Amino acid sequence: MSAELALHGLPLRAEKVTAGYGGDPVIRDITVSADPGEVVSLVGPNGSGKSTLLKSLVGVVRLSSGTVRVGDRDLTNSAPEEVARAAVGYVPQVDDVFSPLTVRENLEMGGYLLRRAQVAERIERVLAIFPRLGGMLGRSAGKLSGGERKMLAMGRVLMLDPGLFLLDEPTANLAPIVANALLTEHVRQLATSGAAVLIVEQRARAVLAISDRSYVLGGGEVRMAGTPAELSARPDFIESFLGAGRTIR
Amino acid sequence: MNGFYLINLLVYAAVDAMACLGLSQQFGVAGVTNFGFIIFQAAGGYAAAVLALPHDSANGGFQSYIGGLNLPFPVPWIGAAVVGGLIAVPFTFLVGRRLRGDFAAVGLLVTAVLLNLLVTNYRPLLNGDAGLSLIPTPLHGDNVFSVQSAGYQWSFAVLAIALAVAVYLFVRRITESPYGRSLRAMRDNDVVADSLGKNLLSLRTVMLVTGGAIAGLSGGILVTYITTWSPAAWGYAETVVLFAAVIIGGAGNHLGAILGAILVPVGFEEITRFIPTSNNLPPNLIPSLQWVAIGLLIVVFLWVRPQGILPERKRVIRLPGVGSGLTGAAGAAPAGGANAGWRRDAVAETEGPSPRPADGDRGRIYARSSPRPPSPRGPDLGGGSASPSGRPSSARTPSPREPAPDGSASGSGSASLRSPLASGSGSASLRSPAVGGADGEGGASLRSPSAGAQASEVVLEAVDVVREFGGVRAVAGVSFQVRRGTLTGLIGPNGAGKSTLLAMLAGTLGVTSGKIIYEGRDVTGVPAYRRARLGLVRTFQLASEFKRLTVMENLLSAVRGNRGDTFRGSLLGKRYWGADETAAIARAEAILERFGLEQFANHYAGELSGGQRRLVEIMRALMTEPTALLLDEPMAGVHPNLARRIGNELVALCADGMTILMVEHELAIMDEFCDPVVVMAEGAVLAEGTMEQLRRRSEVVEAYLVG
Amino acid sequence: MTIFLSSLGFGLVTASVLAIAAVGFTLQFGVTDVLNLAYGAIMIAGAFVAYVVNQAGLSVWLGLVVAVIVCSLGSVLLNSGVYTPFQRRGTSPITMVIVSLGMTLIIEFGVQALAGGTAVSYTMSQGKTFHAGGLTLSVVQVVVIALSLLVMIGVHGLLRYTRLGKAMRATAANKSLARNCGIRTGQVITVTWALTGALCGLAGVVFAMDSGSFDATATDLFLVLILAAVFLGGPGQAYGAMLGAVIIGVATEVSAAYITADYKYVVAFVALLIMLGVRPTGLIGART
Repeated sequence: MSAELALHGLPLRAEKVTAGYGGDPVIRDITVSADPGEVVSLVGPNGSGKSTLLKSLVGVVRLSSGTVRVGDRDLTNSAPEEVARAAVGYVPQVDDVFSPLTVRENLEMGGYLLRRAQVAERIERVLAIFPRLGGMLGRSAGKLSGGERKMLAMGRVLMLDPGLFLLDEPTANLAPIVANALLTEHVRQLATSGAAVLIVEQRARAVLAISDRSYVLGGGEVRMAGTPAELSARPDFIESFLGAGRTIR
Repeated sequence: MNGFYLINLLVYAAVDAMACLGLSQQFGVAGVTNFGFIIFQAAGGYAAAVLALPHDSANGGFQSYIGGLNLPFPVPWIGAAVVGGLIAVPFTFLVGRRLRGDFAAVGLLVTAVLLNLLVTNYRPLLNGDAGLSLIPTPLHGDNVFSVQSAGYQWSFAVLAIALAVAVYLFVRRITESPYGRSLRAMRDNDVVADSLGKNLLSLRTVMLVTGGAIAGLSGGILVTYITTWSPAAWGYAETVVLFAAVIIGGAGNHLGAILGAILVPVGFEEITRFIPTSNNLPPNLIPSLQWVAIGLLIVVFLWVRPQGILPERKRVIRLPGVGSGLTGAAGAAPAGGANAGWRRDAVAETEGPSPRPADGDRGRIYARSSPRPPSPRGPDLGGGSASPSGRPSSARTPSPREPAPDGSASGSGSASLRSPLASGSGSASLRSPAVGGADGEGGASLRSPSAGAQASEVVLEAVDVVREFGGVRAVAGVSFQVRRGTLTGLIGPNGAGKSTLLAMLAGTLGVTSGKIIYEGRDVTGVPAYRRARLGLVRTFQLASEFKRLTVMENLLSAVRGNRGDTFRGSLLGKRYWGADETAAIARAEAILERFGLEQFANHYAGELSGGQRRLVEIMRALMTEPTALLLDEPMAGVHPNLARRIGNELVALCADGMTILMVEHELAIMDEFCDPVVVMAEGAVLAEGTMEQLRRRSEVVEAYLVG
Repeated sequence: MTIFLSSLGFGLVTASVLAIAAVGFTLQFGVTDVLNLAYGAIMIAGAFVAYVVNQAGLSVWLGLVVAVIVCSLGSVLLNSGVYTPFQRRGTSPITMVIVSLGMTLIIEFGVQALAGGTAVSYTMSQGKTFHAGGLTLSVVQVVVIALSLLVMIGVHGLLRYTRLGKAMRATAANKSLARNCGIRTGQVITVTWALTGALCGLAGVVFAMDSGSFDATATDLFLVLILAAVFLGGPGQAYGAMLGAVIIGVATEVSAAYITADYKYVVAFVALLIMLGVRPTGLIGART
């Protein structure tokens, strides 16, 4: 990733977030934070509420209680478009690009809030970061490979120079080599450029390697938190993934 | 108000009521939105006309038409119904396919517009725009009746009303039968109804044809009363009027349809007669405003009271045995005996001989109460009890008082009261889940340990199964076995291919290569609904209950072979299918009690909590009497207490000989209930064993950490 | 050959009118997800607005402008007052179609109540006629074709090159992601109703010019042609609707010349039913 990228990082403070899809809450009383320059990861078994937490932070899922602050703004239950306007870049796990639109048009949509001249400039910058996309600007996004598609999704949010990135399993369905490259080359670089990054990952080991801090979620709650070194040292860390010594939920 | 005016009203009301009943049956009950409904009334009208009219040369050529058979009453009316039904057949290609409901509705609407245009323009067929007139009234040629006499007119009205009542009884009979329940299930969720083995094309075809026949009859009666019929009488907008009537009266409620017919088509026509006419008003104003009002009524009613004036009523099914205590319940049960619950039987057995030996297996949850071909279900899990052939000699799981065929369980007092230690296995993974307290059997349902399971036969087997999606291998050569009577867990990180594998086992997804063996038979090429009929049943990850059916009805909808679940059976009436229904209700009640949902039996499934709805789906799957059950995350989003209860009951079912394979994310559930557990990662089976064993294996730990 | 050419001329005019209407309808459906069957009723309302202006002694072309504005505003109101509230409630697509049929009756017969049941015509000169081979077209017909071409070029430019048009396509493709990009999809949808409502009004007036005389129910059949063109091209596909309009427009008029004018709609009808039955995503439509 080119070094010229300099992002104005925005700290995330989510306090006591409880949210769900109408019935019983899926996540309960979760407090997480991420500061500029930091990669913070959310790991944990399937169904532990990681994706729901991200969705509640960007206004896709409604909070029943708790607060979400980004920088000095209160974004609790703001509409997704308002969250985006507050310089929060969210990459969903699926449906992360506009399939019928071309690669260039996808990037333009990412820069929807920018002035026209700025859009061209930012597209150039995204292409410098993801050179692979340069050769396929006219191709429709639905025809990209999994890795290219994820690059496009990341490039799309980069258009707005977000101060906070929320990435939902960016490496899902990618080959291990591609996945590791994405994490070490690109995700880590976002934080180095100044932004705060909150990333949900299934590949716990790989994401811990690039994280400054990490939360382990289970059953809709934060089970443990700490630096990768602290977590790895805990005997119950591995077990938290394999569900030993706990009752249901 | 003179008599003829009243007769007029009555005949119109009867005709409109019939049409609305037909539409209510299609739209309200079966969910088939037929925007071309008026076509069928028109067809019936023309059919009756050309059957009753003499040959067109006989009336001096002032009107031309085909037919002209001069047939006596009641042939024109019968013909009207027949033609109305037949003309519906070609439309099934629109509604039977998996076409979006609104697109199909557009197709039917456009058909109505176009057919009207064709009949208007093509004069030789049915006299075109001018339409047919001088259509003979019933018995017009007889000298016995004077057509103009009040007596004749009254007779006509009474006959029309009688036929409307007959139509009402007809549609009610269908709707209130098990067949009607299938129709309503299709309306609520056609994909799930399909997976339960309902033939959607057949159901929709029957609905189009019966609705068409009813509409045709109404048209036939109408034209022989008013003696004229022309394209202007059946514009596409007339269908909208009928829809307005059904929506306002209450879709799905046949009395509501009649009320709607009286309020909208009849009432509107009549009210405007009392608007004072003035020469200052443009001639078209009143009819135009009538249409505007009907449009307003539709929109306003759909907003304010979408269920209509008389909403579809809830079908409450009284449970024969709720509230009776467990102890001694068998003795105290009514003579009907169909209520013999699963637990009560077991209790009765431990206390002494049952007074109702014939009911012994009736209450068992997955034993059929009606005759069925022998099913290859294993007798029990006791040590080495499986017959060598893999086909036990008994047709069904032995009831507690029947000694198991191989005698292994005799003397234990209950076939399900088995000690796992009796099999000689001393496996360290032996666990005793907290079943006993919940089901009142003492320690009777101790789960067979994996060592015991090793001895039992293989029910379901995947042999080197591969599934590719566009070149990507989601499942890359999986081989594993599921043994009879086990609750096998299937775990693995996201994207490991668990759900894909489950779908291939159930047949909802085809294999790219490899084989699926079920009960010793290669079922790789057998479609999902046929596998379900063989006893291999799956549930889905997404909620799939029929929302506007009660919990009890949801369960009953899964019953196969109910005699009332065919069109013919439904018409033969409750006397024909009542016994099947009673037996099914008893079985459903036993399942409801088992899962502690009996007090919700008469709640709409759509009103339950998320967890309870998952339970409804599991119970519904059990109603199909599966040999092997495939559950896709049955406990996702379920409250822990309820999840534990589900787990306990699944274990108990397995102890009775059922085989269950369960995909689940929450590994604590695996600890508590599943043995063995199969781990998948990256499309392949990584390991198999108890959860405790697996947790110690480094490759499993790695799979979960690396993802 | 002369029959063919003259019918081809008619076909081009019909296709032009149809293209304007079908592109509006398909965009409306694609972006807003409402299968608005009241579209035909709004068209004829527009035709009558232009008639009222025309009757006041003003040029029908001025009437056209007024009709475009009225239909645009009316469509926005129809959406915000009726369709959006129903959609917010989670009303099923089939019930939305029934609501739109109710609105059809209200608008169409509301127009009839105001205008009376008789057919009317604009007071306008057809201008001189052009002859090219067997092809005969009046000035008005040429203007209609030119207008339609302009609209098609305009829609193409909008969708391909403007921020708004791309936002419309993005909203149609993935509304949730569009919001994540900061696009206020509510506004995009409102603008879409305004724009497609304007196309609807324009289509209504040129339809009325083309047919000579018209009454309040005149678009009942024309809606069949619109639906046929839309489904031929694939619902929601603007370019598909253009292609569908040309095919249906020319096919109906040419078949009218060779069979009989009374049955010219049959071609459209058969095309629509085949598309619904065999390939509901349209000729060039992709799977959704």
